[in-house]
Amino acid sequence: MRLLSFLLILFSVTAAAQTPPTIRFGRGFAAEENVWLMSVRKDLTPNQGKAYNLNQILFQANPERFQAFLAGELDGGTAPGLAVIFARAQGVDMKIVASICLEASGPGIFTTQYMVKDDGPIKSVKDLKGGTIAVVGIKTATDLWARAGLINAGLVPDKDTKVVPMGFPVIGDAVRTGKVSAGTFVEPFYSAEKAKGGLRTLFTAVDAVGYEHELLDIFFGEKFLKSNPAAVRAFLSDYVAVTKYYLANTAQAKADLHKAGFVRTPLEAYQKNADWKREPSGRLNVESLKKLATFMHDKLQWLEKPVDVDGMVDQSYLPR
Amino acid sequence: MRRAAPLILVLAILLAWEAVARSGHWNPLLFPSLSRIVHELIAFFGRPESLMEAWVSLQRAFAGFALAAIAGVTIGMLMGRSKWFAALLDPLFSGTYAVPKLALFPIFIFVFGIGSLSKVALVFLECLYPIVIVTSQGARGVSRVLLWSARNMGASGAATLRRVVIPAAAPFIFAGLRIALPIALIVVIITEMVSSADGLGYLVIYSLASLKTDRMLAVVVVIAALGWALDRALVMLRDRLVYWEKLETYYV
Repeated sequence: MRLLSFLLILFSVTAAAQTPPTIRFGRGFAAEENVWLMSVRKDLTPNQGKAYNLNQILFQANPERFQAFLAGELDGGTAPGLAVIFARAQGVDMKIVASICLEASGPGIFTTQYMVKDDGPIKSVKDLKGGTIAVVGIKTATDLWARAGLINAGLVPDKDTKVVPMGFPVIGDAVRTGKVSAGTFVEPFYSAEKAKGGLRTLFTAVDAVGYEHELLDIFFGEKFLKSNPAAVRAFLSDYVAVTKYYLANTAQAKADLHKAGFVRTPLEAYQKNADWKREPSGRLNVESLKKLATFMHDKLQWLEKPVDVDGMVDQSYLPR
Repeated sequence: MRRAAPLILVLAILLAWEAVARSGHWNPLLFPSLSRIVHELIAFFGRPESLMEAWVSLQRAFAGFALAAIAGVTIGMLMGRSKWFAALLDPLFSGTYAVPKLALFPIFIFVFGIGSLSKVALVFLECLYPIVIVTSQGARGVSRVLLWSARNMGASGAATLRRVVIPAAAPFIFAGLRIALPIALIVVIITEMVSSADGLGYLVIYSLASLKTDRMLAVVVVIAALGWALDRALVMLRDRLVYWEKLETYYV
């Protein structure tokens, strides 16, 4: 009897030791194709199921994702670089470990657009004085770019031009009907609204801040990184492999994501949409994060004190 | 002791909150201590712009509520005293009462714009229903004896309405207004959270986006205090105007 109990305990301990840790990963609903593909095409992730298990959980907005992280319900996730800067400013123990996509300009690359009525009176950003600009959320990247664009034109956000939050699906009609003077457009809404006509680009996210910069990144909690370094390395190794596959086989990857229900846009339109810039190695543009943090502190007064960007980035888990 | 009981209950809740916040089980960014919330509350009252945000929300809530009170009492009285109006409007109000009007907010933005008007319009719509329904019940329930007596004494239709129906329905009217008033505040805050560049709802979402839960909870305390103060003011007004019927409950 004692021998049986001993064998049972030994078996349980051995089994537990062999079970790889599950990464509870908070994801968003846009521009994260290379992350989503890890769950859709497990055949591209040789370490999944061996060195780690992946449980991707959908969140609609960053605050909810960070609240879940603070509540201990997530080990890591996707987030805009500026959202992690906010979190670090509040002392949240998280680190950015890899880049997902960047706001950049160039042929075939998408960058967030700020559009106005084609036949309207607004010809330059200065003409937005006394008007309203629609962003998707307060203190989001879209808010930052809108404010940066206004500041560049010598306008004072909130005083000269109101910045109001509005859902992406309604911004097109809001601009056309004159409810707002300008609005933020990302894919797939940008292509859909462009096809309808009547709107033209006033400035882009890259125009607004003046340089290519991190849009979305992967973060992990520091405790999780310290206690599961092998799992994170294996995860990022698979992530880089999937990113390379996605860049080389974008049409097939998009078709797979669409079939799996990760994307609701009609497949034909989704395939045609331009994509954000993605770094095949997953390496971050740290300098751009530093510039963003400085802008958030100095120009927008969004941060009470400067944030140490070097201290919030750890790229050592990425494959060399 | 009976008067102190609610204070003791509030104190117990606050102590429980502080104990949980200090237990270390939850991240202080998610579950801040009372001292942090009080600190933010003091800062709120020290910032004139925060008080302006509160004033903006109150104006929107009052505007929608006042319009709903005028329209709601009128419609409710008509439905309560006219069979024809009741037959016409009852299916509309009872059939759409359960519809979450907040879902109509995007449409309201397109019709009334992104500013205050769309928010005031939604407050009006949300407040209208309880006022109409409770007022019509009150107007419908006026004692026949009182109505017949008034008519026997030679009162005209207008005099009967003024001297009998309205006073008899007044407690119901105030009950409807009391239900609608907190709804006005809730709707304003939610609409400001969804789409606004000012107001207390904007402050809530701004604080949340900055991961400043303590600041967000300080704004929530301000909203709760405003709601309580408005309700007390309405009850005082009711007691002054409907002096013949006190709000008393007898427990057996």
